[in-house]
Amino acid sequence: MTTLDISTPGPASATGDAVLSFEGLDVTFKTEFGDVHAVKGIDLEVRPGEVVALVGESGSGKSVTSMTALGLLPRNARINGTVRVGDKTVNALDGKALRDMRGNDVAMVFQEPMTALNPVLTIGDQLTEGLQLHGIAFGKQATARAAELLAMVGIPEPERRLKQYPHELSGGQRQRVVIAMAIACDPKVIIADEPTTALDVTVQAEILDLLRSLKDKLNTGILLITHNMGVVADMADRVAVMLKGDLVETGTADQVLNHPRHEYTKRLLAAVPHLGAGPGQFGDVAAVTAAPEDLPALDLRNLVIEYRRVGKPTFRACDDITLSVAQGEIVGLVGESGSGKSTIAKCALGLIPAASGSVSLLGNDFRKMRGKELKAMRRRIGVVFQDPASSLNPRLPIGDVIAEPLVVHKEGDDKSRRRRVLELLDAVELPRSVYNRYPHELSGGQRQRVSIARALTLDPELLVADEPTSALDVSVQANVLKMFTALQERYKFACLFVSHDLAVIDLLAHRVVVLQNGRIVEQGPREEVLHHPREEYTQRLIAAAPVPEPLEQRRRREARHALLAQLGDDVTELHVEDDYERPQPRQDEGGNASGLGGFMTDAGN
Amino acid sequence: MSDIRNSNPDGEDYEPQIGPASTDAVGLAAGGSAAPLPGEDKSYSQGQLVARRFFRHRGAITSMIVLGVIIVVAFTSIGIGPIPGWWPKDYTLQYDKIGDGAPTWEYPFGQDTGGKDYFSLVMRGTQFSLIIAFAVGIISTVVGTLIGALAGFYRGWIEAILMRITDVFIIIPLLAVAAVLGRMAGDSGIWGLALVLGLVTWTSLARLVRGEVLSLRERDFVLAAQAVGTGAWRIITKHVLPSAVGVIIVSATLSISSAILLETSLSYLGFGVQPPDTSLGTLISEYQAAFTTRPWLFWWPGIMILTIALCVNFIGDGLRDAFDPRQNRTKD
Amino acid sequence: MLKFILRRIGVSALVLLGASFLMYMLVINSGDPLKDLRESNAQNREQLMAQRAELLRLDDSPLERYWDWLSGVLGCFTGNCDLGVTINGVQVLGLTQQAAASSLRLITLATLLAIVVGVALGILTAIRQYSGFDYTITFSAFLFFSLPVFWAATLLKEYAAIQYNNWIAVGQYAPWTIVIAAAVVGFVLQAVLGGSTRRRLVTAGSAFAFVAVVMFVFNALNWWREPTFGLAGVLVVSGAAGVLVTALVTGLRNRRVLYAALTTTVVGVVAYLAFAPLLVNQPSWLLLAGLFVLTLLVSAGIGAAWGGFSRRQAVLVTLVTGVITSLLVVGDILIANWASFLGLKSRPISTIGSQTPNFTGDFWERVLDMGTQIILPTVLLTLVSVATHSRYTRSSMLETLNQDYVRTARSKGLSEREVIVKHAFRNALIPITTIVAFDFAALIGGAVITEQVFGWKGMGALFQDGLNAVDPAPVMAFFLVTGVAAVLMNLVADLAYAALDPRIRR
Repeated sequence: MTTLDISTPGPASATGDAVLSFEGLDVTFKTEFGDVHAVKGIDLEVRPGEVVALVGESGSGKSVTSMTALGLLPRNARINGTVRVGDKTVNALDGKALRDMRGNDVAMVFQEPMTALNPVLTIGDQLTEGLQLHGIAFGKQATARAAELLAMVGIPEPERRLKQYPHELSGGQRQRVVIAMAIACDPKVIIADEPTTALDVTVQAEILDLLRSLKDKLNTGILLITHNMGVVADMADRVAVMLKGDLVETGTADQVLNHPRHEYTKRLLAAVPHLGAGPGQFGDVAAVTAAPEDLPALDLRNLVIEYRRVGKPTFRACDDITLSVAQGEIVGLVGESGSGKSTIAKCALGLIPAASGSVSLLGNDFRKMRGKELKAMRRRIGVVFQDPASSLNPRLPIGDVIAEPLVVHKEGDDKSRRRRVLELLDAVELPRSVYNRYPHELSGGQRQRVSIARALTLDPELLVADEPTSALDVSVQANVLKMFTALQERYKFACLFVSHDLAVIDLLAHRVVVLQNGRIVEQGPREEVLHHPREEYTQRLIAAAPVPEPLEQRRRREARHALLAQLGDDVTELHVEDDYERPQPRQDEGGNASGLGGFMTDAGN
Repeated sequence: MSDIRNSNPDGEDYEPQIGPASTDAVGLAAGGSAAPLPGEDKSYSQGQLVARRFFRHRGAITSMIVLGVIIVVAFTSIGIGPIPGWWPKDYTLQYDKIGDGAPTWEYPFGQDTGGKDYFSLVMRGTQFSLIIAFAVGIISTVVGTLIGALAGFYRGWIEAILMRITDVFIIIPLLAVAAVLGRMAGDSGIWGLALVLGLVTWTSLARLVRGEVLSLRERDFVLAAQAVGTGAWRIITKHVLPSAVGVIIVSATLSISSAILLETSLSYLGFGVQPPDTSLGTLISEYQAAFTTRPWLFWWPGIMILTIALCVNFIGDGLRDAFDPRQNRTKD
Repeated sequence: MLKFILRRIGVSALVLLGASFLMYMLVINSGDPLKDLRESNAQNREQLMAQRAELLRLDDSPLERYWDWLSGVLGCFTGNCDLGVTINGVQVLGLTQQAAASSLRLITLATLLAIVVGVALGILTAIRQYSGFDYTITFSAFLFFSLPVFWAATLLKEYAAIQYNNWIAVGQYAPWTIVIAAAVVGFVLQAVLGGSTRRRLVTAGSAFAFVAVVMFVFNALNWWREPTFGLAGVLVVSGAAGVLVTALVTGLRNRRVLYAALTTTVVGVVAYLAFAPLLVNQPSWLLLAGLFVLTLLVSAGIGAAWGGFSRRQAVLVTLVTGVITSLLVVGDILIANWASFLGLKSRPISTIGSQTPNFTGDFWERVLDMGTQIILPTVLLTLVSVATHSRYTRSSMLETLNQDYVRTARSKGLSEREVIVKHAFRNALIPITTIVAFDFAALIGGAVITEQVFGWKGMGALFQDGLNAVDPAPVMAFFLVTGVAAVLMNLVADLAYAALDPRIRR
């Protein structure tokens, strides 16, 4: 059984009794395929002004744990043990009391800010409804309060934003709105479920700054659910590591991250790529052997890519891109969402046309080729996509998936194809038994290995990898990266490696190209770009990437704040006025909801 | 802390090898049904999983059985074409009337005004209705799938032209264009009628398939296939359409049930099956005045149509649940 | 947005043009327009055939004939419509106006009813997923769209019209009918409202008692033949409706909205008193329409005045309450006229025709006559569409209830009513608008059959007779009306889509 070391001295800011506690929490789901034991009796508590990070990989039960605090699990869940928010026992509350508690005592920040906000209601509507519901403010007061909240989380022109819809805001602003919604009723504890996973790294840093100032200034307790060790190092006072529904280790951030005791924690930490540690973290990357006079594997010259849109001006996704990948070289293409990095990858694959400029593969211009010539060219490029869930045809068994390129190019017979597939399965370290299995029976990491195997089927000279590991858990990512470096050393393919993760690029790439808004900001050898960036944007990007070591991360954070100050930017924080009054529920204009309104209530949880 | 079973050094063992990919609340709420039974080591294709889910849908299975019985009885009882059936009476002959022709053991569905055996007449009508319905279902599915797939995959002017053609067919009330064509094809027998009905009922499927193909062609596995140099035809047939098969099959089922109703409506208006052929629609139309005097002449063909259409609809619902298990939550 | 609409209209016009050409060619080639004459034994057969060939211009090329028809139609834009003449030389324009009036009345009523009932049922079944109620509605939905329309029509005629007419001659319910009806109502109500076993029992019991008592009292008062509703009835029912609408839209905690709704009902009843002499003595459609517009304006005004910080919701609530109140007022007048209507027409629901020929009643009695005639076809048409709408609403609702923002709404502490009405329903409506527009075309097809069964002289008859005679003008008139209606309906759906979904507003 898991034991939690409660006697661990908490940080100075943590005072008073726990605002959120789980005692012997145990959750089982009844599914059509039998019971799933998601959480197996865990104990955990969060005190005021404290950030407790709940760390684990997908399927570890961390999200399920957090949902019990709001009483929001689906009906097929069976919950044992006690969940307390403040002095309320959540699983003993009835519907009305539970709803009063939600938002008021405990609030939630979700992972995906686009889907967490209702697309058809204005920001103002969504902010004020909580205020009115919990009797904090009504009408104009509520609107004013909502604007105040938006200003607090650092959204400019709050009055105008109130009238806008979620799709009119950027991802980071949406997440700020979600946070504003969470703090609207001044809850004692906020549960942040992967609050920055869907965000770019610079935005992530801002949101983390905001959350940090929130606990400092409002003394709110935060349960931070994440899989990102860098985020943990940046934020957490205490850390709890979850594995398959059990807590395997808890302690202060320093204890857990720097002196892990449990095997799993150690392995988890070892699997995190460390920005600044350079190559060799997961196997050595072979040096580039190509002579300068050799033809580059991929050569993009003044490439422009445009999207035509109905009823709107043409959108220029990429502008004047010039880069080349030498034979056997790995070039990391780095940028935030919308920077055009995937667009360039697709163009290099010939999947979308270029508006102008040239795309050459080993000296042949892609744009001038047609029919057979083009098809023959295509066999020299392999591709790995990001999402393991959609990159394999769900209707084909793995063997067919990997053999597909051979079939398309009419190479070999059934027997030789089978031999090649088995060889590749060995190369990507998958058991040969998956030959007849279907993609849905494989885990994400296994599927991504299949994708890589398929890309290598025809022994390509160039591999285009579009975020191949970003959808994977960190330990799986480490294994895939290890395998990837080994394969690259063996097959010597050139690679255009697209990623938003600087740490991954740091351990893999020979050269790095940094993109912003469809233009190249900076490119050069890895050490130069990542360790001695010249451009402001690259500096910001690197400063914002967290590392999984609390003390180092603190230094980096301070360095980043200094950089921001130097660049003339503000550090994101909660703007609390001196005369800030804590919202108090007040008597509303009417009585309680009557039976008529309640006729739908029991449909809930 | 000691019951951590997987403590071998290979980290990947922490990934669930087979089974629900995620135990997150959301995944479980949605049923997590893509996963096979825990502990079972057998390999299931998507098709087999769909079949398993389908066979759990009680309404659909009952409907399958009922429809199967109806088909078997309709075709074996009075035979088809030159092949004789086991039912002793002939639908063309007039027999001596027993009483006013109400159902008896000898004439289970009764006799019509002229003394014909109503059971064999209804079976004959059922045969025709079924043939037309299935033929229409197949034709409209093939046409709709083809047009939708081409429009969705090629985009550009091909899509524009195909979808405008679809719009033209959609804007004319289906019954109207079917009636006009049915009248033209009336002389060429049921196959002519089935053909023209099939040629006007593909529109909704074409739109559905186009939408599906539009989203599928952006999926990574299709892009991966394109990047390898796979030809358009192979991509459509091997990668895109198999994934759209759920939409297509469900829609095909529903087009069968609407074809049955469309045929009976046309026959009722006089633009469908022409005498001497008989369909369930012509039977009702012919005998609706007999409702108060000889109710059995009215009830049997109506119940037959209703049962067939109901069964097909339920099968379609079962297929929809089986192909799209998102809304199929675990009951408690 | 305007550009978008204009583009849509442009494309629709082109599609309409293409479809009309296709339709024209198909119709003139669908048979031999001279068939009946060829087979006739009339003396002047040749002459008649020549006459008809002349009338239909059979010697001209199809293209010329189509062009002629088209220019006649295009004339409508300049004020001189010419839809051609029928095979018997009658102007199609006049025929079309009459036919379209009765058909569109039927189709519009059925569409509105189907939307309201279908969407409501869809939401209820989604909320009560996998309950007995859900299964019942699901099964009924499948049953209804598996029904051959004309077959069901015969059943309706027999059981809803003829037997009702027999019964109303006496107008008394037998005791066992009352018991069964009350039991059914009680059972259905508890299934819909749900809750704990005890709550279900209470619901069922009180519903049973209420229905049974009301029916016995009505029997005693001979209410079914001489019904009255009265001012008090209007006030009580519209007040209740106002409370219910408020509860659904904002919850009763919002007193401002509740008071706004109640004010609307009171103002409505007072206005009824004021306008009663006019309504009874000089009724006309124009007056009714004018009063309806006035109702809308006044209701919106009340909502805006009371609304305060929730003005938008208050206006919505008062508008709905206002409409309900005005319908109740009309209902009250009609109910008051029922006894005299029975005196004029002892078998109130006849199975043929859109109104009783040579009916000699005053304005309200004529309205009642048309009302009783439209009931059966509307029920029939509505049933099929209700089935479709409820299924689509249900799945759309289930889809949105699984979305993240619904989880967010719940995590804020919103009640299930607010989650459903405010967050889920608005989003669920978006795909439904498209379905409604599509279904409209199917309704027109259903209307052809329904009109035929119930002997309405509407667009269906125009189409059927025209097609039988291979006479293009009336068939094309049918196509024109239905096609334009479908295009308009699609446009309305587009606008509704844009109104509901801020993401596609431009």
